Amino acid sequence: MIHLDAEINELKEKLGAMWELVSTQLDKTLTAMNNFDKDLALEIQENEKRVNAYELNIDKECEDFIALRQPVATDLRFALSTLKINTNLERIADIASGIAEFISDIDQSVNPEIIHHLQAEKMLAISIEMVKDLREAYQYENTQLARTIFQRDKLLDQINDQASHRAIECLDKFADQRRQTLHVLSIVRKIERIGDQSKNIAEEIIFYLDAKVVKHTKKLKELDKEE
Amino acid sequence: MIKFPEHVDVRKRIYQAIFFWLARLISLAIIGILIMILYFIFKRGAGVLSWEFLSTGPKEGMMKGGILPAIVGTGYLVLFSILFAFPIGVLAGIYVNEYAVHGRVKNFIKTMTNNLAGVPSIVFGLFGMALFVNQLGMGASILAGSLTLALLALPLIIRTTEESLKSVDDSFRQASYALGASKLYTIRKVVLPMAFPNIITGLILSIGRVSGETAPILFTVAAYFLPKLPGSLMDQCMALPYHLYVISTSGTNIDQSRPVAYGTAMVLVLIILVVNLLASFARNYFAKKVKTN
Amino acid sequence: MHYKIETKNVHLHYGDFHALKGISTRIPEKSVTALIGPSGCGKSTFLRLFNRMNDLIDGIKITGEVLIDHQNIYKIKSVEVDRLRRNVGMVFQKPNPFPKSIFENVAYGLRVNGITDQKQIQDQVEKTLVQAALWDEVKDKLKKSAFELSGGQQQRLCIARALAIEPSILLMDEPASALDPISTGKIEELIFELKKEYTIVIVTHNMQQASRVSDYTGFFLLGDLVEFDETKIIFTNPKDSKTESYITGRFG
Repeated sequence: MIHLDAEINELKEKLGAMWELVSTQLDKTLTAMNNFDKDLALEIQENEKRVNAYELNIDKECEDFIALRQPVATDLRFALSTLKINTNLERIADIASGIAEFISDIDQSVNPEIIHHLQAEKMLAISIEMVKDLREAYQYENTQLARTIFQRDKLLDQINDQASHRAIECLDKFADQRRQTLHVLSIVRKIERIGDQSKNIAEEIIFYLDAKVVKHTKKLKELDKEE
Repeated sequence: MIKFPEHVDVRKRIYQAIFFWLARLISLAIIGILIMILYFIFKRGAGVLSWEFLSTGPKEGMMKGGILPAIVGTGYLVLFSILFAFPIGVLAGIYVNEYAVHGRVKNFIKTMTNNLAGVPSIVFGLFGMALFVNQLGMGASILAGSLTLALLALPLIIRTTEESLKSVDDSFRQASYALGASKLYTIRKVVLPMAFPNIITGLILSIGRVSGETAPILFTVAAYFLPKLPGSLMDQCMALPYHLYVISTSGTNIDQSRPVAYGTAMVLVLIILVVNLLASFARNYFAKKVKTN
Repeated sequence: MHYKIETKNVHLHYGDFHALKGISTRIPEKSVTALIGPSGCGKSTFLRLFNRMNDLIDGIKITGEVLIDHQNIYKIKSVEVDRLRRNVGMVFQKPNPFPKSIFENVAYGLRVNGITDQKQIQDQVEKTLVQAALWDEVKDKLKKSAFELSGGQQQRLCIARALAIEPSILLMDEPASALDPISTGKIEELIFELKKEYTIVIVTHNMQQASRVSDYTGFFLLGDLVEFDETKIIFTNPKDSKTESYITGRFG
């Protein structure tokens, strides 16, 4: 193992640590949502600062790595994808913080049936799994695992599509929870964006490991069939 | 777009071939000349060669007997002249190349050395007679003759030593200094060993030069006939080149002693060839030794 | 942070030529400092201040202070210059092992400086050949001529030779410029290891090498030290526009 490998591992570990933090933020968000825990919601928003600090730090590390080591081939793709995943993770954390903000905003607790009907907690649970799997895929260089994200992201899209209709049903059914229903709908929209960010991360991982660019193509089905 | 003239490539190759063959012929011609000289001498001199020729002194006015004293004399002269010239020449060469830093001093010494090299050998002979034989009272002797021959060999040895040292890349010296070695240590342990094979070449050239010189020994040591072999440095001695000269030009019966002359020439040439060969081996031996130490 | 080497307003003239113009800088210990800049800008001359190799050149004039471990090395007695050179090792651009055996090459510095104990010499030779990552390749042929080694091996041998006398500083004047990429890579890995124990100053015209290998970088231009800073900063955000022009290749 040469010196370069040691530095690459350091960078991987740093991103891994940030990933851990982001996963924790998402877990807390799920708990806060289910339990309507305003204290936890505040905590999540406070922790956002730490995530931002990580992002700046990793940005600088990647910049230094590229400037000082002139990486090529896999090492270069590693640096570029780490840089982008860094941004994606920060956005995911940002979204989680946004969801926490909504929870802070509501005066009264939400009827859990609304959350259930809009499938918000199901969505959030799926995205939490996606983020965890992506971390494993990055850490252990597993493109197969990365590819499973696309299907789940589609699922999130579907739930998001149904959300409008189900929201209207809730508005009708729970007349005194109109504000809460709209909040939950907003939360659903936000979770869908977590899905998008996760998809980006998956694409970056595949680019890094396979040098295949899978963005913006409609040939995902063909790629899935390859596996 | 440039249009290159036709047939240029063919012409280039023809010119090259002509030149190449010309050079080849000339080189062969030179070897041919050498072979011719050797053949000429050996053919006429081989008849005289015998063990008696090499091991006994001349008898009956050079017509019979051998040339042992001349061989021995030449041997002594070469030995002592090199003994004087070699250490001095090498040290001088070391000084010029390693210690004389300022350009002006260096150039002055170099010019002077070249001048010394250009002095005609007869002038050395006269100088030797004036200084060693007369002034210092050595009389005609091996000592005087050796010293005179040493002066002859000196510029040659200085020059080749200097060139050999120059050919040692400076980075070796620098590496040695950087490890804390003094200049002297560096010269002893790094520079001289590397230059040694080439210095030996200079030595060979000097031996060849010195053994064949007649003029410097004319007035300083050489005798036409001595009844016995020289016993000390102050004795006179016979010498091959001088012997050859005298036999060919004077003597009692030139025609009859002609074969002896050729025999002497043959011996002289053979000695030089053998010395060159031995020195070649010595050079290779030292070159290998330098690499592994 | 302990500064191993310090220069204060050093000027150097070769006869009329003003080669170094008031260089003041501090080099931290146990790190790698790279000196970069175009040819003839003074970086090699600057390097040779530290083991006083410039003394060998005629007509040199040096003013200012050059301090190693806070001692001015130009104010020491001439007898102590040898001790200075024991403490400051040097590796040159073209590998220049002596025409001796591999063993004798490494032992040279020890013998020069008076070590005669055969066992001590043997141990030290082995130790430094291990340090130079060469031991495994040569342990069975220590008596063979150093010239039989490849270029990269010869250079590592020269590094071992310099390390044998236990310097605390290692000066390297473009150590890999005459080598192929694989040998260069090996030398760079070696430098990473060595900097844990030695203060290394390396002159290189290969900027990528400087960025890969060094912790600090000094940019020389026409005898001036334009900028000296952490390598990270020099290569991501240099303060002087001349530095930026040089490292982005927009020079001249």
